[in-house]
Parts: sequence; C-alpha cells; structure tokens
Amino acid sequence: MRISMKWLTELVPVSVPVPEFVDRLDMTGTAVETVHMVGDAFENVVIGQITKKDRHPNADKLWVTAVDAGEDALRAIVCGAQNFEAGDRVAVALPGAVLPGGFEIKKSKLRGVVSEGMNCSAKELGLGDDHDGILILPEDAPIGTPFAEYAGLSDIVLELEVTPNRPDCLSVSGIAREVGAVLGVPVKLPATTLDEAGPAAAEQCHVRIEDDRLCPRYTARIIKGVRVGPSPSWLAERVVAAGLRPVNNIVDITNYIMLELGQPLHAFDMGMLKQGLDGKAEIIVRLAAEGEELTTLDGTRRELAPRTLCICDLDGPVALAGVMGGQATEVSDKTVDILLESASFDAESISRTSRQLGLISESSMRYERTVDRSGCAAAADRAAALMAEIAGGEVATGLVDVFPEPLAERTLTLRLSRLTQIIGAEIPAEEAASILERLGCSVEKHLGGAGARPEGRPDDSSDDRPGSRSGDYLDAHLKVGTPSFRPDLEREIDLIEEVLRIYGMGQIEPTLPAGRERVGLLTRGQRMREHVGALLRAAGLSETMTYSFTDPHDLELLGFELPLDECVVEILNPMSVEQGVMRRTLLGGLLRMVSYNQCRGVDNIHLYETGTVFWTAPGRRLAKERERVAGVLAGSWNRQQWNASAQGLDFFDGKGVLETLARDLAAPKFKLRPTALPWLQPGRAAEVLVSGDVIGWLGDVHPGVLKKFECSGPVIAFELEIDRLIRSSVIERSVVEPPRFPAVSFDLAVLVEEKTTAEQLVQIITSAGGKLLESAHLFDVYRGTGVPEGKKSMAFSLTYRLPDRTLTSKEVEAVHSKIVRKVLAATGGGLRS
Amino acid sequence: MGVTEELDRLYGEALGAIEAAGDLAGLDAVRVSVLGKKGSLTQVLKGLGALSAEERPIAGKVANEVRATIEQALESRKSLLEQDALAAQFTAQAVDVTLPGRGRPVGSRHLISAITAEVIEIFLGLGYQVAEGPQVELDYYNFTALNHTPQHPARAATDTFYVRDMTGKGFDGSVPSDALLRTHTSPVQVRAMEKQDPPIYILAPGRVYRRDIADPSHLPQFTQIEGLVVDEGITFADLKGTLDHVVKAIFGSERKTRFRPHFFPFTEPSAEVDVSCGICDGKGCRFCKQTGWLEILGCGMVDPNVFGYVDIDPERYTGFAFGLGIERIAALKYNIPDLRMLVEGDMRFLRQF
Repeated sequence: MRISMKWLTELVPVSVPVPEFVDRLDMTGTAVETVHMVGDAFENVVIGQITKKDRHPNADKLWVTAVDAGEDALRAIVCGAQNFEAGDRVAVALPGAVLPGGFEIKKSKLRGVVSEGMNCSAKELGLGDDHDGILILPEDAPIGTPFAEYAGLSDIVLELEVTPNRPDCLSVSGIAREVGAVLGVPVKLPATTLDEAGPAAAEQCHVRIEDDRLCPRYTARIIKGVRVGPSPSWLAERVVAAGLRPVNNIVDITNYIMLELGQPLHAFDMGMLKQGLDGKAEIIVRLAAEGEELTTLDGTRRELAPRTLCICDLDGPVALAGVMGGQATEVSDKTVDILLESASFDAESISRTSRQLGLISESSMRYERTVDRSGCAAAADRAAALMAEIAGGEVATGLVDVFPEPLAERTLTLRLSRLTQIIGAEIPAEEAASILERLGCSVEKHLGGAGARPEGRPDDSSDDRPGSRSGDYLDAHLKVGTPSFRPDLEREIDLIEEVLRIYGMGQIEPTLPAGRERVGLLTRGQRMREHVGALLRAAGLSETMTYSFTDPHDLELLGFELPLDECVVEILNPMSVEQGVMRRTLLGGLLRMVSYNQCRGVDNIHLYETGTVFWTAPGRRLAKERERVAGVLAGSWNRQQWNASAQGLDFFDGKGVLETLARDLAAPKFKLRPTALPWLQPGRAAEVLVSGDVIGWLGDVHPGVLKKFECSGPVIAFELEIDRLIRSSVIERSVVEPPRFPAVSFDLAVLVEEKTTAEQLVQIITSAGGKLLESAHLFDVYRGTGVPEGKKSMAFSLTYRLPDRTLTSKEVEAVHSKIVRKVLAATGGGLRS
Repeated sequence: MGVTEELDRLYGEALGAIEAAGDLAGLDAVRVSVLGKKGSLTQVLKGLGALSAEERPIAGKVANEVRATIEQALESRKSLLEQDALAAQFTAQAVDVTLPGRGRPVGSRHLISAITAEVIEIFLGLGYQVAEGPQVELDYYNFTALNHTPQHPARAATDTFYVRDMTGKGFDGSVPSDALLRTHTSPVQVRAMEKQDPPIYILAPGRVYRRDIADPSHLPQFTQIEGLVVDEGITFADLKGTLDHVVKAIFGSERKTRFRPHFFPFTEPSAEVDVSCGICDGKGCRFCKQTGWLEILGCGMVDPNVFGYVDIDPERYTGFAFGLGIERIAALKYNIPDLRMLVEGDMRFLRQF
C-alpha cells in the first residue's frame, strides 16, 4: 500500500520527523518497506534568474546566459532556447541533477564555452511535451528555492506492508486511524455534503441479489449528465502517488475514493445497461451460468466458471463482481449517466475468482481481505458528490441499498488476568482501555472485585492460573465493542494483540521459561546420525546438499527399476520439468555434482549427503520417506605431493570408508556381497550387509551411467539406509582385556585360483585355526612373475595366542600345519615360497 | 731406562694419542694399542713381576695411577667424540620444516547442517528436544490446523508445491491435491501436540519448499528450524527472553534484538525479530539497507485456534512458536553472495568450512 504523506497529513497530524514516524509504524506492526521521496528527480534543480543573455561566440543559435541560482556567484549556462529574455525566472538544473529519463547534468564545454548547468524545458523536467523552449516561471518565483518544493512536487510516499488481517489499512483513512492510535493524536476523516436532485434513483434502477451470503450488500447511486474528461491535476496526482494510472475523471474518482476509504467502487455507463420493461436499469448479482462469457476492461474475453460471482443486467454479465468491470459498460467519452456501484462481496468467492482467472486488481485485493460493508453508503455518497463537483453531474435522489442483514455490533470481553497471562507483564487497565479506544473500540471498564467476573468463566479455574496476582485484578475485565472496519477483532486474543502492539513489544521485560520436567537430549538415533556424519568427514568426505526434487528421467538414466507396487512422488506444479519428481535415490544428485566439479577442473571429489528419499504407492496419500546416507568418490584423496604419490581412488577406498563406519559403530557382521545393480559396473558392485540384512550398496558407477551424467570415471559410490545402520550398531559393548601373554606369528602364502575369494580363505583359516588362532591378516595379493596365469598369491600373517598362558611351539606348529593342510585341500592350491 | 721412566713415557704418548684421536674408531684403536692384551701399558704391567720386592710396590703404584689416568682420558675423550658424532647426525637429519606435511584426507561439514547443529546445541541447553515430521505433508497439517483460511494465498498453486495424491480420489477444492511439500516446519508443531501432552519444548529442523525461482537470495528448497513451547505460565516475555538468548548465542552477545508486531495465521500476538546489523552496529549501512536491523525470524504466541485443533486447553496452557531460516543466518553470518552455492556441491566452496 502506497501512502502519500501529503494526503495522510490532511487527515491526521504527524508532528514527528519522518524517520521516527517510520520507526513508530514499524514497531507497531505496519512495516514500512520503502520511503520514496517523490521529487527526488528534481534534486539539484532550483529556481534561477537569467541576469544576462549574450550570443554564443561560436554558434548562431546558442546563447550564453548568466544565471543567479541563489549562490555566491553567477553561473554561466549555455542555452539553445529562443523564448526567453534576461530577467526571466527559470528552472535550472545544476551539475549533479539527474532529470527524468536519466539525463545527468554535468559541467561541460559547449562549442568552447563552459556551461555550468542547464535551463530546463517542461519536457526535460518530465512535466509536459512542450519542447519549444525553456519553462518560464512567474516573476515571483523565489530564486534559489528547490524547484520541486516550489512546484509542489515534493512528497514522501511510504510503501507499507499491510498484513492480511488488516483490510482496514488498505486506505488512507484506515492508515490515518492507525496513525492516530499509534501517535495518540486526533484524526479528521473526510466528511461529505451531498446535493441530490431529480427523480429518485430507486425509480431508475433496480437491484436484486440472488445469494446474500456472496453479496451481503449492494448499493447503487445514479449520477446524470456528467462530462467525462481528464481529471484535475490534484486528483490525478493523488491517483499517481498511490501507484495507479489516471484514466478519466469518473474512473479516477472511483479510484480516489477507494484509496481514501478502502471501498472499491465501480462506475457503469448507465446507458449501456439493459433496461427492463419498466424502464429501470436492472442489476442482478448472481453466479455465472454455464457457458456465459464476459469481455473485461482489459479487453480479454473470459469464459466464466460456474462459481464466478457476476454483476449482470438483463442480457447477462456486465462485470466480474469485485474483480473487474466489463468492457461494454465501461465509462467512455460518450458516457452521460453513471450507475455507481458500492458493494460488499464474500472474500472467499472473490479470491477464488481472482485466482482462477489469474486476475488481481486493486478491487479484488481489497475484497479478498474483507471490505467493511457498513461503509458502502458513505463511499458512494462521497464519490457521487465529487462526480457532481468535478464532472458536473447531478446526483439522483436517494441511494438504492440492498442490505438484507446489517452487521451486528460485536462485543468482546478482555480479562486483564488473561492479558497478563499471555504477555507476562502487567499492562494497567487504564492503558489497555485507552489503546483500544484509540483504535476505534468502545470500552466499558469493569475493574471492580467480586461480581465483575465475566460470564461463562468457571470460577475454579482462575486462582491457580499463572499470572494471577490478586482476586481483584483477576476479575477485572473490559467490555470491548469492536468497530465494523476491524473484522479481524473477533476474539479476546485479538484484543490482547492490539494492546501489546500499541503498548510496545519493546516495553516487555524478557524472561526465560521457568521450566519443569524437561531435559534437553537428542535421541539415540539423532545422536548417531550426527556421529555418522562426523565419521564420514573424518574419513575424508565433505558434506553436501542436493535438491530433493529431481528429473523424472533420473531413474531411467540410472537403470533404477521401481518395484511394481511402488511409484515416484510426482510434483503437480514443479518449477521445471527437471525438478518434476521427488528423488528416489541420492545418487543422481551426487553424480550431477561430480560432473559440476569436473567441468570446473576439480577432479578430486569426495562428497556425502544425508537426506531423505521418497516414494509412494497406489492408495497412499502421503509419501514414504527414508533417510539415506550416500557418497561419491572420484580422482584421488590428495594431489600429488612431494612425499606421497596421488593414487587413483578405487572400489577399496569406498569400502574403506564403509569399514570406518562399521568399525566405529561396531556394526555386527558387516560384509560386502557381490551383486548386480544396473547403475554399477558388473564385477565391481556389492551389497552392504549388516547382521545378514542388506542395508545398501557400494560399487564403481557403471561407465554407461557416468556418460549419461557427463562424469569422468571411475566414480565410486555408495548409498546406505542410515537408520538401519544405526539400529544395528552396538554402542554399548563389553571391554576385551588386552592380551597379557606373548603371541606367535607365522606367514602363510597360498597360490589359489582367481575365483577364490578372500572371504573364503579367511573362513577356512579361521575354522581350522580354532581358538588358538587370534587373527588372520591379509597382507599381500600378488599376480605376476612366478605366479601362473589365472592364479593369485594371497599372503596372510597368522597370529596365535591364548588369553591364559603362553603357547608351546609344538602347539603352534600343530595348528599351523593343520591350517595349511585344510587350506590346500579346500582350494586345491599350493604354497608359495 | 727404568720402569718408572718407561711408564712416564708411555703416559705422555698415550695422552697425546688420545687427544689426537679424531673419531670413536681412532680412539678405540688408541685404547687397544695401550690397554689391549698386547698394548704397550699391558706389556709394562706384565713386566712388573720381574722387579725386585722393593721396586715392585712403587712401580705398581705408579703403573696403576698411569692406567687410571689414561682410562679417564679415554672416557672423557669418548664422550666428547660421541657428542660430536650425535651433532653430526642431527645436522645430517635436519628437515625443512616449511615443507608441506603428509596430507590426510579430511572432510568438511556443509554450512547449513553446521548452523543447524549449532542452533540445536543452543536449544538442548535450554531443555528442548528435537522433533521430526514428514516433508511430504497433508494440507491439514501444513495449513488447516495452523489456522490458515481456505483462501489463504500461501495455499495457491503458484506458491506451494503439490504432489499427486495416490488414493485415486480427486481432491475437491481449489488446490490441486491434498498432499504437498511442506512450506514450513510448522506442521511438526501440530504433529507434536497431537502426540504429546504439555509440557512441550521442541525444536524441529528440516527442509521446506516454496515455489520460488532459484536466485541469489531464494531457493525453492530451504531449511527451517521450528521451535514450540507449550506449558503452564508461558508468556510473551518468555518468548522474548528465549529468542534474545538464542540470537545472541548465534550472532554474538553484543548484538541487540527487537520485536516488531506482525501477522501469522497460527500465532497471536505475532512478531518478527530483527537483530542489530553487525556491520554498522545498528547505525545504518548498505548491508542493512540503512535500517540498522536485519530481519531473522518470525514468532508469536500459539493461537488458541491451533490449540483447538489438537485439543489442548488454551486457558490452562499457553505457548510460543518461532521459525528460523537457516539459509538466512548463513547468508548473514558468512556473507554468502548467492544461496545457489549451497546446492551446487562445488568442492572449492564446501571445503571452506
């Protein structure tokens, strides 16, 4: 809402300086978004007198003038106009001025003569089209005065953020009332004296409302014999200051009154309305019928949805109620008689129509926040009076007013105990009452003791209520009648807000809740999620964040097949097709980040994300949501260093990261099992198991997938169900005492077939080793010279130890040779020496 | 030459040789040549037995003194040479300490999750617990139970992401579906109050979604932290005190806060909270658009209508709620020029934190 300070101060005195005024508004709930200094465009434009006019030495058509701009010295200004004489007063743009259109004035040389400014034409000042010469001002124009001030062009326009609960603040009067309450000063609202003449309006038109829930009030006034033309400048200025475009005197008056009082008005060209047989214009407020259409003022032909509220004449719709008028009945140069509508419409209905048609007007914006229906008549009277005054019309006698159910006055009870209970500080009853009165409420004070208890409040609930001080204070209350222009004041809490708002939130001393029965603790799951993140960072991965929405083709690109009974969560109104569904896996987003980095020359990529994946199924309303942790690795851990080579990351770097997690969380029976997944390279794909359950996967991303995501490989990726990992982890575990007896170690290197896995060998070794074998540590896998094709050598360091005594060499030799025997027998392999 | 003279000569020679030994090996050679089995002094000592009974004790005493002195000289020369050797070794092993260390990979935390954790930490200290809720939400929890009117503009499909409802029933209303991406973390308030009786002290961090085009100051997905307190005796003053504490904990104790009345459908009275600008110290500068203040959160007392939806007695219990935008804090605290950097995953950005 744009409010002109010039206009506002006609209704309410604002004696504080603007910055303080802005602050007071801000701190009482009317946020000031911007302060526009209208006339800023004329900064450095002052009134000057041309004291001398000489021919330019080097140009026939130019003059060199000496201008007194109220400064110590005269200014030399080169001027091309011919319409002036020495002694004329003119508007002078000094260097630094930026004229409308962005033309900046600088000290310059024109054909060899220095010019220290410009004598302006009306066009250059943006005040008209006259470019024939400079603007000559009256003889009494005070020299040195800023031009904007002299021409009455300076104003301050405040751009206010009006919250949806305050429809009353969408007008200058409403803001004036608010300002009156905030500053504690009297407000003078506009009054109207209306001269009526001729036949009664009721004899010239008839109004019928089909559903008074959708249109609780419709008033019509008739103004005959108007001359439609441009508005006087004061009226056009007001309309422009509010950010609207001047149209003609009639339309500008309807807009002016809407801006002044908050009541949207519509002027119909009465001659264009279909008359009934009785010769009366017929106005019917009803819902659009199937197939009806209307061409609105903006020239758009619109098909009307069945629940659209319309203003109709006997032929059909002539306006979209509360949103926009129709083109056919629009006020034009030829219009003579006006039918002026001032009505009230249902907020929800207007809001629906406006949204359906994608049409937001000054009118719909007000109606959808509720317009005070008690104000319809006053607004109509005021507009009619102005039309008579400005457009020379004659106002027909009487107002046609269909108002089936006038608003009942609302009376609320404000318990002072409740005020204290909510606010936490005692605001004196007198102060609260005064604030509410300033806001336009009527207040009856009931500050006595017993007997003053408000009705409907059980007596027993009061005394143990926090905030109670004494019986007297508790019982005290205010009976508050709320004004019709404040539809938001419906409940006691609304009054409490008003009192606090005007009293000042800053005046309330801050306290901390005196809590009982509460402890600040994370759940185990929440704590462990944090911990998983910390482990991944310690393992070298950096945390990232991707969008939850993703391209619907992602799953296809990954080859990810949804189970038959599952589907992706589809966004009905995405920002773009590429963000059309909720992600089913974190992998797609992470691969895009790999590509993003690689495109920018960043090749060493170690990223993880913990985030939600989504899916749904037929019959479900809400999605299934699961928390996942996923990571991608590409390049190497570090750049080549002077003391360490940069090794390319591979599958086992990924596995190492998972092992770090598993070791720290003591995930039972953590292991990888070969698997086939469409987005992983065959032979380098594994599912991750904990306690025999699959909790995720790890592998090299399939080169085909990498190509589709524009990544260079290899990229190692994993994704785990974080909650299953956490659930299986064993945080509380018994201590194992460090061994006190010495161990014996033997190495064992066996030549085995390529297909023999490390896991198989360890199983054979551990089962043959029995309790004497403490550990079997694989320290080498070798292929090459000395190892036949198709085979590999795997070397283990076997450690033997008993917890309670030293082993004899005989015992160790016996078990070691048993292990060797079993391994050889099971693998068919040989020892490698 | 008598034995004594012989010893004198040997003594002189030995000390000279010891002094002349340049390293430990040379010194050891001297030791062997004097004190070894065939050493010069050993030979003299062996010859003592051949002396007369009168000469023997005198010569023996002299010989022992000579030997002790030589041994002492050997010892002290040895320790000196050892020190020299160690010093030489140290010189040889010295490193250029300005060479880079052997790199260990270490990851960094994403700014948003770091700030979220920081805020949670502050509230754990105030006795709050962390609550969670779904990101795909029902209209009921996101709007209706939070006292939004059916025509509230936030419900518009231009503002809120709606998702396909898989029940197959068409949704009868002006919005396309009954299921949506939550537009704030506030639905967690309703879910928490449905599940739990007061006292309630919870914090609900999480992702939220609004149909904003991604630009330097907007993302269609961002992070909020919701707070909710419902208890007996909770007042607006408590809300002020709590947020004052939190804002100072986040931005620094020298910063000031102010509460500006505002409107939210689910709180009343409602306020927006500003923190004093850290760049100009509240005097007004370009960063704070000359106001001296930066808006950081919205808050208010729980509206009695919301209590009505979850069946909590608004006469007995009062409460407050607030919502903090983490990206907003990140932008203010870390001067992020463009919020899109947060979701690009550029390693060079991520590794800064």
